[in-house]
Amino acid sequence: MSFQQWSALLKEGFNATSFVATYLCFLHVTNTYLFTHAWVYGPSMLPTFSVTGNLVLAERVSTRLGKVGRGDVVLIRSPQNPRKVVTKRLVGMEGDTITYVVDPKNSDRRETIVVPKGHVWIEGDNIYATSDSRKFGPVPYGLLHGRVFCK
Amino acid sequence: MGKWKTLAQAAIERTAIVAKFICLYHITDTYLFSPTIVRFISFSVCQCVNGGVEIDRWILQVSGPSMLPTLNMTGDVILAEYVSHRLGKVGPGDVVLVRSPENPRKTISKRIVGMEGDTVTYLVDPNFSLRSRTILVPKGHVWIQGDNMYASKDSRHYGPIPYGLILGKVFCRDYMSAMLGLKSYDV
Repeated sequence: MSFQQWSALLKEGFNATSFVATYLCFLHVTNTYLFTHAWVYGPSMLPTFSVTGNLVLAERVSTRLGKVGRGDVVLIRSPQNPRKVVTKRLVGMEGDTITYVVDPKNSDRRETIVVPKGHVWIEGDNIYATSDSRKFGPVPYGLLHGRVFCK
Repeated sequence: MGKWKTLAQAAIERTAIVAKFICLYHITDTYLFSPTIVRFISFSVCQCVNGGVEIDRWILQVSGPSMLPTLNMTGDVILAEYVSHRLGKVGPGDVVLVRSPENPRKTISKRIVGMEGDTVTYLVDPNFSLRSRTILVPKGHVWIQGDNMYASKDSRHYGPIPYGLILGKVFCRDYMSAMLGLKSYDV
């Protein structure tokens, strides 16, 4: 092929790539700063979310502005596995006194704890089958990923 | 009418170019590397923290001279990269940028001393006693300590921190400003 044809081909390839890159860029910025989608599954948030899975929309603005509060369902990066993002309900903010049932399957024992500064207390809606702050303690606010607002 | 249309088109084109540049800059800044000014201030000065994420990336305020002698007390320009911690390639001995577990808007820089599963022996309060404690770092957490253990608030104070709070790894310090006389170093 002649030089002309090569350069035309390259130019077209470059245009197409830059178009795709721009689109991905835009998608990424929206995902990080505006809202994102997530597929939540598992028994820990029954009956709010089903076991087999729900597609939810989570917005990422309130966590950065500090506007999440008690009762919000949040996406949070797991303190036990940093590659996993889990969905739980925010039950207590810093400074709150939380009384929780330690192990509802085996006993009725309750414990009371004050959430330290900069941390939040998260619990799954289904306390019989969830691994949450009752197991690994209050999590730092910095691990919050987003707030679920739509399912 | 036609003139307005061409004007609007030109404006949109210009805006698109600026938006694309900002996008590209942001991606590099968040996911590859960025220069950061690490500034150390004493406890008595109030911290004025800007809420925007971009500004957080540029200016770090760490209370106290906690990373002496590695990093200067009055401030250092460093290059931090944001790739290694996502690949799980940070390890003991690395200086990392970490979101503070006590104040989520603050980014602090400390050294990783132990990864999950490691046994860490540390001096609880070297200013007052030689008492030491040994702890096992739980799964998904890291143990961070400032180089200047006499004046550093770190994992000895608030325990092991989740790996997810690590923002980036410091890999380079800018010596050019010192050599060009733009900064003076306190030794």
